[in-house]
Amino acid sequence: MITRHLNRTIRALALCSMVVLAASPGSGVAQDIAVDRARNEISIVMTEEPQWLNTVRATDAVSFIVLDHITEGLMSYDQQNRLTGGVAERWELTDTRATFWLRRDARWSDGKPVTAHDFVFAWQQVADPRNAAEYSFFMRAFTNGEQITQGKLDPTLLGVRALDDYTLEADLTQPTAYFLELVTFISFRPVREDFYRAQGQAYAADVQNMISNGPFTLTKWVHGAELRMEKNPHYWNRDAIHLSAINVPYITSDANARMNLYMDNKIVMATGLDSSATKTAMYNRQKMLSFSDGTVFFIEFNHRPDRLTRNLNLRRAMQAVFDAAELTYKVIGLPGNIPGVSLFPVWLDGTEKKLSEEFPPPVVEIDADKAREYLELARQELGIDEFPPLSLLLSDTPSSIKQAEYFQNVMARELGLQVILDRQIFKQRLAKMTAGDFDMVAAGWGPDYNDPMTFADLFASWNLNNRGRYVSEVYDNHVKRAQSTTNTRIRNRAFGDLAQVIHDDVVILPQYERGYIYVQDARVDGVRRRRFGGDPNYNYAFIKPES
Amino acid sequence: MNDTYDPVSGDFEPLLTVTDGEQIDRPSLSYWQDVWLRLKSNTRALASLYMVLALVTFTLAGPLIWSVDPSKQDLEQISQGPGLGQKAILVPDRLPVPSINSLTQSMAEDRADGSGQRLDLLGEAHTEGLTLSWLAVANADSYTIYRHELEPSSIDDLGLPLAQVGPGQLSYHDSLSLEATTYYYSVMPIVAGQPQGYASQRVEVVQAIALSEARYRGLVPEGDDASLLGSTIRLEAHPLGTDSLGRDMLARLMWGARTSLFIGIIAPLFFVGFGLVYGGFAGYVGGKTDNALMRFADFVIALPFLLFMILFKIAFGIGPGESGIGPMLVALVLLSWPATARLVRGQVLQIREEAYVAAARMMGGGANYLVMRHMLPNVMGVLLVSLTFAIPSAIFTEAFLSFIGMGVVPPTPSWGSMCNDGIRTMLSHPHELIFPALFISATVLAFNLLGDGLRDAMDSRLRSDS
Repeated sequence: MITRHLNRTIRALALCSMVVLAASPGSGVAQDIAVDRARNEISIVMTEEPQWLNTVRATDAVSFIVLDHITEGLMSYDQQNRLTGGVAERWELTDTRATFWLRRDARWSDGKPVTAHDFVFAWQQVADPRNAAEYSFFMRAFTNGEQITQGKLDPTLLGVRALDDYTLEADLTQPTAYFLELVTFISFRPVREDFYRAQGQAYAADVQNMISNGPFTLTKWVHGAELRMEKNPHYWNRDAIHLSAINVPYITSDANARMNLYMDNKIVMATGLDSSATKTAMYNRQKMLSFSDGTVFFIEFNHRPDRLTRNLNLRRAMQAVFDAAELTYKVIGLPGNIPGVSLFPVWLDGTEKKLSEEFPPPVVEIDADKAREYLELARQELGIDEFPPLSLLLSDTPSSIKQAEYFQNVMARELGLQVILDRQIFKQRLAKMTAGDFDMVAAGWGPDYNDPMTFADLFASWNLNNRGRYVSEVYDNHVKRAQSTTNTRIRNRAFGDLAQVIHDDVVILPQYERGYIYVQDARVDGVRRRRFGGDPNYNYAFIKPES
Repeated sequence: MNDTYDPVSGDFEPLLTVTDGEQIDRPSLSYWQDVWLRLKSNTRALASLYMVLALVTFTLAGPLIWSVDPSKQDLEQISQGPGLGQKAILVPDRLPVPSINSLTQSMAEDRADGSGQRLDLLGEAHTEGLTLSWLAVANADSYTIYRHELEPSSIDDLGLPLAQVGPGQLSYHDSLSLEATTYYYSVMPIVAGQPQGYASQRVEVVQAIALSEARYRGLVPEGDDASLLGSTIRLEAHPLGTDSLGRDMLARLMWGARTSLFIGIIAPLFFVGFGLVYGGFAGYVGGKTDNALMRFADFVIALPFLLFMILFKIAFGIGPGESGIGPMLVALVLLSWPATARLVRGQVLQIREEAYVAAARMMGGGANYLVMRHMLPNVMGVLLVSLTFAIPSAIFTEAFLSFIGMGVVPPTPSWGSMCNDGIRTMLSHPHELIFPALFISATVLAFNLLGDGLRDAMDSRLRSDS
């Protein structure tokens, strides 16, 4: 509670200093311009300080951006965002086993080779409950993974082995169609045991406590102010990397400040533009691009037995008055966002076409009269005269407050339901979500790997991220069906059925699929925007020759 | 030398008896009348007094006259600038979006006349939505639709990218925060990963409102739907515009003033009152008691306000989503009184030693008499001044706390929280920030100038000047 308030105050104060910071010229001449042709360097901006540059424990998007430049996993994405080998040269995937043959020329930034042991060690660390890695659940894909994450077995028993320095073998608990996509994730990046142990607590806390195997190495990290990544001379595919360095001379969460930096030729890309920044861009005749980051936002209900929202008819009543299109187009009003229709976003691939085309999600009918009937039913079933105020938990950001105020107004106007807004900072919101201290929560879910399963198992009864404790045997069975096979047809059918269950049971109210408007310097090409891992990615970026 | 004068008794007759000595030929003025006179002659103070009065009227009587719900969201008029009610045409609730296949068919036939126009508007263009259609380009992988507020000058200047649609789709329905203005739509086909030219179309968008929405708000009479469609009605007027959720700024300012002035007046009344009693007692009693009391006041003055505000919020069990106004009031009262107490104590210490007080005491005046007759009237001046200075600072504190989100909760408005909302759209819709900021500044200024004027008017050394 105190942290929350102080935090907000500090942020308000920090904002003031940020403005000052942004207004003052950059610290060095070389970092003052977006594109430095002579040195073959570019400058970018980050929204905040990377919180944790340790691949074992990193969770935030900014850390992912940095880590995706300085580390490389077994599998990777190429210039066209297609899945390709990273450290792995060859691979083989069966229903129960994955084998990777590592390239012999993959090197750490100190020149030592990247070996299969580095991956085994890293994955054991992620699974080890003593590290409290948030993504430890990924390690349940391996034999013994679940028991290890629960602390019942020793991490060394994880079903992953190095047959020799360059061969890695993993035993899978179930057929995992998306396993190759999964190992691109940051938590699956290698960690070298001798270095990790030598650094102890200080590992990845600063530039000298880090070692990289990616295209770049972090060479400067002034906490809260500035970063610099230089090309890694030991990287095996160094010929494909064009830039000599990437500077991060600015860190600001203010979209307008980023836009101004871009207009002043200080950074090569300004992303996440809000309505006033897009207006600035429009009137300055800037070329704008849009990008969907794949995240789905929704209002999740608390299904615990002590909450009113456990009642299906109450949830149906809310579903029948909540118009995602109005929210997206009129209230949010930024291009790139798509009204949410389902837990499964439209970009997910199906068997031949998009999943949303093969299994169109059920359409919600907006009908206030019907909603009031549902509400009346709910009142009778719950045996109450008046509905007490329902709480809506949300992040303390301007955009989510605005959306919540709209929701609050719709519920009051159409159903006479009072909704109180419980604004919390991100971490506190997560803590309250985990504790189940909410009736509804404005939540979002971003994909971790390129497969519908990253969304599908979210509301399985065993998933710890199922914060509303939705429990349905039917739902669980569909998820199990999709997990039991690598046959895409059967799996996609199961995902289609899941979308139906989510709609019928009103597990969530889909709000929107997030998109961004951004501007990018025309002199730079090869920047990749991605839904998985760190976005944006400049690994293959290059400065176009002068025309 | 016999010319000496012998006085006679007549010489010693008294002169005329003077019955009227000094005559007061102007009406007698009490201290307060004198103060008022001097205040009246101070134009600056008088103007701020009128401003304060106007503000109080605005706050108390305003909502009675302008009875608009401050939390009502008018999604047809989001972030509207100041003005009177706009005209809008009535449109059906759900627009029949033409099916794509039949559309392309009929479009292709329509365009067989060779007009050469590659991008067209289908039907009417209004703020509830509009549909565009374009001619297919051979081998196109996808089409990107853009919207600009200026006329596009090149392929790199097409404005906002609205969407990217597949090759089978040749129309697009746009309803993204449309305003009644002119837009330039463009469509850019992508062939083999490369953009291949673009086609633009100028579109005039008119204000519209869905029929059911208009009916819900009582803008149209009950009756035949079909005859109403297409007719023009006047939307609700928003004299000071609307905020980013279409809420009326004037109503929000009035209701926000209630929060601001409530804190701004109630809190100072309490803490100045308490400070008077505390400081008066300390000053009157004096000695060790005075010393102890004033050291305690020093201690209180050192306590950080924000921290206590948070502590009170927790101690009061103010849950999330509940208003923080209560704890704010308590924190203000409990932490702000020492300044007044010091002031009053100093004044009382001084008055206590005055000769007239000593005289009154010697003539048997009791404590009550001394306090009521001499002390209180004499500290009244500094008290009023400190009150008028305390009010703007309390208003400012409230605004600041609401700005950082510790005061009122949505949808309750306050000037501070309105500023916080408005700052996000400062560049595109400045009125959302300017109005609440103006009200805060004007109020704080008015109270400060009034306090200034009062201090001048009450200074007894200036008394003879008038």
